[in-house]
This record gives sequence, C-alpha cells and structure tokens, in this order.
Amino acid sequence: MKILKLFSLVLAGGALALTGCSTVNTVENAQKEGQRNMISDQRVITDAGLNRKVAIVGVNSAMTPGGLLKVQVELENHTHSLQRFLYHFEWFDANGMQVNNIISASVPEQIEGKESKFIYSIAPNPSCRDFRVKFIEAD
Amino acid sequence: MKNKILIPLIVAAIPALFTGCATDAHYVQTGDKEQIVSLGQINIQDYANAANAAVKEMLDSGAIDKVANPPALLELSRIVNNTSQQVDTDLLTKKISIALLQSGKAQTKTVDSKATGYKQEGEFMNDQKTTRMPDFTLSGKIIETVDRAGNTRRTTYSFQLSLNDTKAGVQVWEGEKEIGKQGTRSSVGF
Repeated sequence: MKILKLFSLVLAGGALALTGCSTVNTVENAQKEGQRNMISDQRVITDAGLNRKVAIVGVNSAMTPGGLLKVQVELENHTHSLQRFLYHFEWFDANGMQVNNIISASVPEQIEGKESKFIYSIAPNPSCRDFRVKFIEAD
Repeated sequence: MKNKILIPLIVAAIPALFTGCATDAHYVQTGDKEQIVSLGQINIQDYANAANAAVKEMLDSGAIDKVANPPALLELSRIVNNTSQQVDTDLLTKKISIALLQSGKAQTKTVDSKATGYKQEGEFMNDQKTTRMPDFTLSGKIIETVDRAGNTRRTTYSFQLSLNDTKAGVQVWEGEKEIGKQGTRSSVGF
C-alpha cells in the first residue's frame, strides 16, 4: 500500500516536472551578413540566482535613423523551464546625469527554457550617451 | 487537559494568522514587482508597456523624422475603445505624446482652447495666416479578446496604433502591442 502511494506520488511529480519544462530549438543562418557592434559592459550581480538562470550574453548598440542611441541586450535562459523577470532601462547624458523618461516603466518579460532572447530600448532623446539595464526576477 | 491547552492556543493563533495576511497601505511604483495583475481589466502598467512599445518602434522606424521642418507636428486623433470597460485613452496617448516631445522629434498640437484663442487673435491682429497643419495624426484602437478553458481565463488586449501622414494621406507607421493575461483570478505580482 505504501509502495503504491509512493509510486503514484513519483508519477505525479514526474508529470509536473515535465509540464514545467519545455525548451526551445533554434536555427539561424551560419554566414552572418550583419555585424553587431558589441560594447564592453560592466555588470553588478546582486541576485546570483537570477543570473544563473537568465544570463546576459552580450550588449550591442546602434543609432536610429533619427540619431537616437539604441541598445540591445542578448539574454539566455540556462534552465529548462520558463523564467519571468522585469527589466528597466535608465539613460544618462554626457554629464552622467540621469535623463527623465516618461516611458521608464519596468517591462515584464518571459523567456522559455534554453531560449536566447533580445530585449532593446531607444534613448529618450539625442543627448543620451550611457545606459543601465536593471533586471528583477519574478516571485 | 490537553484540549484545555490546545484550544486557547488555536484561538490565539487565528488572529495572528489574519494579521500576517493583511498588508498595510504603502506607496508603490508603477510596474514594480507588487503590481496587481487583473484578468478582466487593463492595468496602469499595461498602458505604460503599450506606450513604451509604441514609442520605441516609432522612433526606431525614423518615420517621424521625415518632415520638412522638424520637429514634426502631431495631432492626436481618435483611439477607438473596443473593450468591455470604460477606458480613458489619455492614459495611452499622453505617455506617447510626452515621450515624443521629450525626444525632440515631435510636438503635439495644443487642444487648449485658450492657447488656440490667443493664437487666432495674434493672427487676426497681424493679418497673418500662419497656421501650420499637423504633419501627422496618431489614431488607434484597443481591442479585448477573451478565451476560456474551464476556470482558466486568458484576456488579451491589443493596442493598435497608426501614424498617419496628413499630406500624403498614408499610414507611415503602424504598431501593435498585445498584452495577454492568463489565470483563474487576479493576483499581486507579475
């Protein structure tokens, strides 16, 4: 009787684990036409747990047709399950002062297991030179 | 004897349990971790996210830069509400117009009657007709779609926006942001 109970518990646990895990397969062109302008970044990791799950692969930048700085961050989910987080871009001018931005709300994002994903933002005005991106894990 | 000790303990624990669940009122930031996610209505952070996506895409497209006399003059047109709730579309359009003004890429035509009156008076006194027509208008639609499977409900809000060139009469930019929420009940956290 005990074994039967244990067996059904293991089965239920297995089913749950399988439901929670789904990873992403990808395919892309091997010979890249576009060249990403990768920039060196400085990272402050206070939530090692989130960093282990959703890692920052790299940061690249470009200019929009209107002369605004555009920053793209590549993220990769190292786990086999879906991860939810919030991200938030902050912008700074040539004097290092933070630029007021009405569209500064944190953006909820999710990434599938083993998925690689890009997030991006555009500087609120042409005076922006630097940026900072903050990531917070969902509860 | 055991019951005599156990019952007062349980009675004492019940209020403590309820106190633990209660949350004192405190200030929060829009879009923080504690945001309330409502299944049946558009939350404040949904407007912010839709506006954020629209501004990013609009500025990235460069459509608003293609004017003879920058910054472009924008007039906010009609945002159709096709949802089951009453929506103040300013929660969406105001964020977009402020962001465009802050970018230096566009100015919005005033809707203030006093400002318009002073402008007309100035034109009349100086015998001038200097009214500048808007370069673009911004129009759109908010659509709600509800799907159900048992107790689970998924509500998707589609924010569709179009930037219309008033001279050419064409849409020079279009964007759509879908915000989907799924669950059995509203919750705190995202």
